[in-house]
Amino acid sequence: MARTRRIDTGELLEAEAIRLAQQGDAAAFERLYRLHNRRVYSLCLRMVGNTAEAEDLTQEAFLQLFRKIATFRGESAFSTWLHRLAVNVVLMKLRKKSGNESSLEELTEPDEESGGPRRDFGGPDLRLSGSIDRVNLQRAVEQLPPGYKSVFVLHDVQGYEHNEIAEIMACSIGNSKSQLHKARMRLRELLHEALRAQAREDRKAASAETGGKD
Amino acid sequence: MATITCREFLSYLEPWMEGERPQDAQAHVRTCPNCSSVIKDLEMIHVEARSWSASERDAPERVWTALRAQLEQEGLIRETIPASVDRAQTAAPRAGWFAGLFPRLPRPVLAGAYLAALVAVAFALSGPVNKRVNEARWLKGTQTSTSPLSAQLNFAEQNSNSYVTRSNPVVAASLHQNLAIVDNYIALCEKSVSEEPQNEVARDYLYEAYQQKADLLTQMTERGENVQ
Repeated sequence: MARTRRIDTGELLEAEAIRLAQQGDAAAFERLYRLHNRRVYSLCLRMVGNTAEAEDLTQEAFLQLFRKIATFRGESAFSTWLHRLAVNVVLMKLRKKSGNESSLEELTEPDEESGGPRRDFGGPDLRLSGSIDRVNLQRAVEQLPPGYKSVFVLHDVQGYEHNEIAEIMACSIGNSKSQLHKARMRLRELLHEALRAQAREDRKAASAETGGKD
Repeated sequence: MATITCREFLSYLEPWMEGERPQDAQAHVRTCPNCSSVIKDLEMIHVEARSWSASERDAPERVWTALRAQLEQEGLIRETIPASVDRAQTAAPRAGWFAGLFPRLPRPVLAGAYLAALVAVAFALSGPVNKRVNEARWLKGTQTSTSPLSAQLNFAEQNSNSYVTRSNPVVAASLHQNLAIVDNYIALCEKSVSEEPQNEVARDYLYEAYQQKADLLTQMTERGENVQ
């Protein structure tokens, strides 16, 4: 008689959990959730920058997953399939938020008139000086267009390879590489803007101090 | 070696970050502080972002709680199957505490019994819908309509007893002791309801008591099955 396969800790193996979840087994659903919720929640959190929304989106992504789990045939890795659902849920949410039904292409390139990467390299005074402020980078990531942000978070934060991202985002590997590059370049610009703003503030403060002394 | 301009280097930048480094591009980076600085910035962005993964954390527990409730509401999940229970015995999904009383009944029969009992209890315990119904008639209704449920509980008790007696006698004694406590509680609740048939709190307590007994009998049955 076949019995549920469990590893030494008593936990279901992923493949077995998927099979049992397809039959509606509550423990199997929970096991799959416990295995993957961290990555999905982190992805949602990085994408929306708000814990309450990230929680809602995580719940929605898993709900969609469990509604469709009977159709999972294992053609792609389960985590890839789940991330694809999660990314779609987040992008849909961001589209609704922006109030229009823009395409993914528009979501990735809203500010490029030329269609290519920006040519602004920045002068020597704009160098990031060997370190990046984590808070500034987080703010900059929040400002990225959703398409760029998805690829950046998946690749640079979560460590997915371009072929996996291509599957998750339903795009070509070349497209994934290109989006990532544009995302990093845009981040660099945003970080420079933050540095410039900081420099202006410092100058203002210094001149106010000097003026006050006169 | 031919040198390239900064503008030309732009087209090398994306593959450069992916590890492709042609010699002319390398030569340019060695001599161009601006392009070399861009590469450093992009690498720093990558390294800093990668370090974020170390601070990833699980979603708060309430996400799973809400998700599970939604899955149950949509009928996508059924009760957890204990690992020790043979799958053949649990092929029919359980349908809650009441189902635990009749593990061997076919699902439609079980659903029917469940519905009948709920209707009976609802009729008996929900109070007179119509104010014109007099108390005596309602009290009679309470007594007669809860009797099938009591009978079903008694039947389940006998069933569970036969399981538990075959299991560990210490466990059996403990369960019987708990059952006696619940039975006393039920008797008290029934008395309260018969004295104050329109007291909703008393009726709620009685219903709770029946549920407790059902839960206990379910446990007894399951323990008996596990021992076998």
